[in-house]
Amino acid sequence: MSNKISSSVPTDREVVLGILNNSEEALNKLYTGYFPMILQFILNNNGDEDDAKDVYQEGIIVLYNKIKSGNFELSSKLKTYIYSVCRRIWLKKLSQQSKKSGDVTDFDDLISVEEDVEQHEEKDRQFDKMQSALLHLGEPCKTIIQDFYINNLSMQDICEKFGYTNTDNAKTQKYKCLQRLKKLFFQS
Amino acid sequence: MRNEIELEGIIEDYLNGKLNEEEAKAFEQLRLNDPTVDHKVVAHKVFLESLNDYAAISDLKSKMNQVHGQIDVDTLSRQLGPHPSFIVNIWRKNKAAIAVAASFILLTVVTLYSIQQTTQQSGSVELVSRELAKIKNSQSNLIRKINSTNVATPNLKPANFGGTGFALTSNGYILTNLHVVADADSVYVQDSRGNSFKAVVKRKDSQYDLAILKIEDKSFSSLPSLPYRLKQNGIGMSESVYTLGFPKDDAVYGQGYVSSKTGYNGDTTQYQVSIPVNPGNSGGPLLDDDGNIIGVISAKQNQVDGATFAVKSKYIQEALNSIPNDSLGRKVAFSKRSSLQGLSKHKQVNKIKDYVFMIKVYK
Repeated sequence: MSNKISSSVPTDREVVLGILNNSEEALNKLYTGYFPMILQFILNNNGDEDDAKDVYQEGIIVLYNKIKSGNFELSSKLKTYIYSVCRRIWLKKLSQQSKKSGDVTDFDDLISVEEDVEQHEEKDRQFDKMQSALLHLGEPCKTIIQDFYINNLSMQDICEKFGYTNTDNAKTQKYKCLQRLKKLFFQS
Repeated sequence: MRNEIELEGIIEDYLNGKLNEEEAKAFEQLRLNDPTVDHKVVAHKVFLESLNDYAAISDLKSKMNQVHGQIDVDTLSRQLGPHPSFIVNIWRKNKAAIAVAASFILLTVVTLYSIQQTTQQSGSVELVSRELAKIKNSQSNLIRKINSTNVATPNLKPANFGGTGFALTSNGYILTNLHVVADADSVYVQDSRGNSFKAVVKRKDSQYDLAILKIEDKSFSSLPSLPYRLKQNGIGMSESVYTLGFPKDDAVYGQGYVSSKTGYNGDTTQYQVSIPVNPGNSGGPLLDDDGNIIGVISAKQNQVDGATFAVKSKYIQEALNSIPNDSLGRKVAFSKRSSLQGLSKHKQVNKIKDYVFMIKVYK
């Protein structure tokens, strides 16, 4: 390809360590470093900028989960890994949209990432389920749950934030919300 | 209701590892005894994990969106996206195929070229340019470096180069190759009896590599009339020919046949002759069985066995004709009929040897 990707790319080690330490800077570098590669791939294979963004972010999530799960080994270059994952994801999307997918223009080496992508799909389904469950939960339950479980606020904080007279009331409210959410989540 | 809230609180604490050892043991016992509680624990665990995953991924996504906002996607897509031009796209998409096709064509050309190469006789020489070919050609010219100790005339300084020449007229005009006498300071000719005469170059014909010398020496007396004649028309392949030359200080006889009607690189002014020649044979006469001169030995090819080249007699005649008659003194006239016709080789050679001279060149 004549267009060389010129963005500065962090070293693989830097990225892995950064992700393990939840470093935002590492994420920034990683994200900006390899995005052009995926953009190029998607644009040249029947996709647009939004497709590139979606696919790339999914790819990064796969990489994150892989690194966080602890069984990540740098058997290939990170670049190759990201490219292979994104390629696989994009090919699946293409075949779902029944666009042509037999002949893609490649821009990098490939490694087999079948397993990682399948794991990711499972996780992605869970994610979607949770997202829609939360969506259907409605306010103020959604905020209470998010504050308690995601933002790790104490019952006391929640009590003050939502103006409950005492923490027991807040606990009861949280319990009700959680029951509904569980129902929504497990039923869907 | 109240109990359930508390139960869930305990389950959460249990899953988060906040219970102390005793409480945890008691709770685990409860799980064992009460399957409903156990089920709740498992379900809550799955749920909490999903929720955590969800939290982590949402967090990651929002961070990524932040980063994404900083990237100038439009500029990048212009750089990296498919080129608007159709031809460029074709090139990019079919690079591999084009590369294969190109190498195939290249291979074919090389193969064809090498086939052509091998079917032509000129070998590696043909690859070089004409100028270079000329240099190579001159390298294989048959000038002999004369060993100083072998010079027959002790009163003379040793000659540097030697070749062969033969009489064109009985009054001392001698034909040889131009490359034999090129750049010469002085030229001497020596007859079969060992007499040496001073000669001057009268005429140079670089086109056919011919030179005409004139013996200008008081001790030289005219020769008897020439026994051979210049054959006007060509000679065919396979006709046997012979030559006399001076690759050493005595005349050497060589016999062969015409192997091709064209010379080096298809040069139509020459024959290719299969005849053993050595440095010193240059300028020697090439005669057919009837004693007609059909050419002048001029060169042999380096890499090829038995490929000697001789300038055709027709061009000897042309070279002669181009010389003004007065400079030759009188018209060069070969006898109409060769007096050698019908004689045996041995007798022919005996007669001819008096008319073939060794050319000694000082540079």
